[in-house]
Amino acid sequence: MTLWDLQQGATATVDSFGAALQGDYRIRLSELGFHPGEQIACVLSPNLGAPKLYRVNNTVYSLDDSVATLINLA
Amino acid sequence: MSKTILIGSPNSGKSLLFNKLTGLNQKVANFPGITVSISSGTNLADHENLLMDFPGVYSLRTISAEEKVSVEAFYAGLNDPQVSSVICVVDTTRLEKGLIFALQVINACAEFGKPVVIAANMMDVLDSHAMDMDISGLSEALQVPVVGISAKSGTGLNQLQQLISQHRDLPTAFVSGIIASDDSVVHRQAQQLAQSYGPKGDLLINAQTKLDRFFLHSWFGGASFLVIMYMLFQSIFTWAAPAMDAVESSLQMAAAWLVPMLPSGGVSDFVSDALFGGIGAFLVFVPQIFVLTLVVGMLEDSGYLARAAVICHKPLRFFGLTGKSFIPMLSGVACAIPAIYAARTVDSPRKRWLTYLAIPLMPCSARLPVYSLLIAAFVPSSYAFGGLIGWQGLAMVGIYLFGIVCGLLVTAVVSRTNAAMQTDLPFVLEMPPYRLPSWRPLVRNAWNRSKHFVTKAGKVIFSVTVVIWVLGYFPNHGTALGESWLGQMGQFIEPLFAPFGLDWKYGVAILSSFLAREVFVGTLGTLFGIEGGEENIISLAEHIQNSGLPIGAGFALLVFFSIALQCVSTLAVLRRETNSWRLPAQLFVSYSIFAYSAAWVTFVVVQAIAA
Ligand SMILES: Nc1nc2c(ncn2[C@@H]2O[C@H](COP(=O)(O)OP(=O)(O)OP(=O)(O)O)[C@@H](O)[C@H]2O)c(=O)[nH]1
Repeated sequence: MTLWDLQQGATATVDSFGAALQGDYRIRLSELGFHPGEQIACVLSPNLGAPKLYRVNNTVYSLDDSVATLINLA
Repeated sequence: MSKTILIGSPNSGKSLLFNKLTGLNQKVANFPGITVSISSGTNLADHENLLMDFPGVYSLRTISAEEKVSVEAFYAGLNDPQVSSVICVVDTTRLEKGLIFALQVINACAEFGKPVVIAANMMDVLDSHAMDMDISGLSEALQVPVVGISAKSGTGLNQLQQLISQHRDLPTAFVSGIIASDDSVVHRQAQQLAQSYGPKGDLLINAQTKLDRFFLHSWFGGASFLVIMYMLFQSIFTWAAPAMDAVESSLQMAAAWLVPMLPSGGVSDFVSDALFGGIGAFLVFVPQIFVLTLVVGMLEDSGYLARAAVICHKPLRFFGLTGKSFIPMLSGVACAIPAIYAARTVDSPRKRWLTYLAIPLMPCSARLPVYSLLIAAFVPSSYAFGGLIGWQGLAMVGIYLFGIVCGLLVTAVVSRTNAAMQTDLPFVLEMPPYRLPSWRPLVRNAWNRSKHFVTKAGKVIFSVTVVIWVLGYFPNHGTALGESWLGQMGQFIEPLFAPFGLDWKYGVAILSSFLAREVFVGTLGTLFGIEGGEENIISLAEHIQNSGLPIGAGFALLVFFSIALQCVSTLAVLRRETNSWRLPAQLFVSYSIFAYSAAWVTFVVVQAIAA
C-alpha cells in the first residue's frame, strides 16, 4: 500500500520509498518527517483527486499523487 | 560593525522578527518560502550590529538551485569574521520540524566556531492555547541558549537582543556536544527533544484540520474559493474607487487653482498638459495598487493562499503548471515583477519556467488604467438584467479572464509540445496554520509597494511624458499637433496601426507604452491635452469618444494590451531571474506578434458584428 491509498482519518507507518523517487528528494522527504518508521496520518482527502493532507508530528503537508504513490507504507 | 545572521525554516516567523529587530519593513507572508533574497538592516537596539535575514530553507542539504544559493550564502556568512552570532528561528508550534533544521545549523556553527542562539518563536500562540514548553530543558539539552519569543507581540525580544550584544562584545567560540552527521540520528534527536521539551497536545493541529475540512471541502471549499476571489476583485474596484475619485478631484482642483496663476504660454501649457494631464492620469491608479497588495497580502498571511494552491493544483496541472504556480500568477494580477520573484517558490525549475510564461499575460494593475480608459470610452455605462450587472464591470471581468485564459493556453500548449517540460519535481507543500493577519506589516508593505510604483515607475512615466510633451509641443508651440515632431513620428508608424482604424496619436501612445503600459494613458492625456488647447478640460475618455474611433479599434486595443509584453521592468527582472536575455527576448517577440495578430482578428470580428 502507498501513502496515497491511506484513507482519511487513518494512520500508518512509512516503510520505504518507491524506486522512482530521486535520491535528494528522498532526503528532503525524510527531513520533512516522511521518514521510514514514522507514523503518518491522512487528515484530509479532498475529492476530485486534489492533493491530500498528511500530518507528520505537528506539521501538515499536502502531497499529490505523483509523490504520495512513491511512499510505501508498512 | 558586527553582523548577526537570522536563519530558520520557511514560515518560522524570521521575517517578522527581522522587521521587529530592525524596524525595516520587509514583506512578511504566511506562505512557505516567500523570503527570497538576503535583506539586512541595522539592529534598532544596537546600532553597531547589522542583522541579515537569510532565505528560509528546510534543510542545509539542498535539492534545488535556489536553496543551494541560500545555503552557500549561509556558509559564506559563517566564514565571515564579522559575523558574531547566528540566530536560528524555530516555530515552537511545529517544534520537531524546526529542530531538525536547528540541529543542522548548530552543527554547522560548531564547525565554524560561531555561537548560535535558538529563538523559539510563536510563544504567544502557545500562551493563548494554554500550552507550554520547557525552554530551559531544551537549552540544556542542546547546549546552546534558547529564548522563548514572540515576533508578533514582542515578548522575549529584549533577552534576545541582550544575547546578540553579548556575543558581539565577547566573541566566544562555540562547541556542542550533540553533533551528529547522520540524517537518521538527527531525525531521532529532534523527535526526542520535541517529545521531552516541546508543547504537548493536538489542540492547534485539530483546529487547523477543522478549518481545512471546510476550506478544502468539495462544495464549501469551492464556494469559498469563488467568494474569496470575487471579493478580491470587488475590493480592487469598489474599495479603491472613492480613493481614486478623491485623487482625481484633488488633482483637478489643484490644476484649476495653479494653472491660472502661471504666465500663459509654454509654462502653463506644460503644467496643465504634461504634469496634470500626463502624470495625474497614472497617479489615479495608486489606490488600486495599494488595495490589491493589501488584500493579496492578507490572504497570504492568513494561510489561505496555501489552501488555494491545493485547490488549484489539479486544474493547473492540466495546463502544465502546479498549485504552487497559483501564488505567483495571482500576484501577477497585481504586478508581474513581484510575481516573477514569487515564482521562486515553485521548486521545480520546469514548472517555474512555465509559470514565467504565464505571468506576463496575467492582467496586471498597470493594464488597469488602460482597460479602465478604453472601457469607459467604448462600453456603455448602462446596466443589464434589471440593474444587476453593469456592462462596464462585465467588460472588465471579461478582459481579465481573457488574459488569464491566454496565459493558461500558452502553458498548456508549451508543456505538451516541449518534451523537456514533462518531467518534474513532486508536489509537497507545507500547510501553514490559519492566522489572523498582522495589519501593520501588511499596510506598510502595501504602502511600500505603492511608493515604489510612484517613485520607480513614476520616474519613467515622468521622463516619457516630458519627452512626449516636448516632441508634441514644438516646433509650433502646440498650435498644430499633427505638424509637430511627434506628429511626424506618429505618421511614420501609422501604417502599422492603420488596419485597426487607429491614427498616429494612438501609434505614439502605443510606442511609448512599451516602456510601461500605463504610459499609454499619460501619453494620450498629454496628446489630447495639447490638441485640446485652452478649451474646457474634459476627461480623456470623452476625448477618445469625440475622436470618432471605430468600436472595433477599442476592442482591438484592449486585446493588444492584454497580451503584449510592454514592460521594461518585467523584462529586466526576468533576465535577472533566469540569468540570460533569452527568455525575455523570446517572450517579448512572440507576445508582440501574438498581440498584434489577436488585435487584428478582434478588430475584424467586432467591426463585422457592429456593422
Ligand atoms: N502569532 C504569531 N504569528 C507570527 C509570529 N511570528 C511570525 N508570525 C506569523 O507567521 C507568518 C510567517 O512569518 P514570516 O516572518 O513570513 O516567516 P519567515 O520565516 O520569514 O518565512 P518565509 O518568508 O516564508 O521564509 C506570518 O503570517 C507572521 O505574521 C509570532 O510570534 N506569533
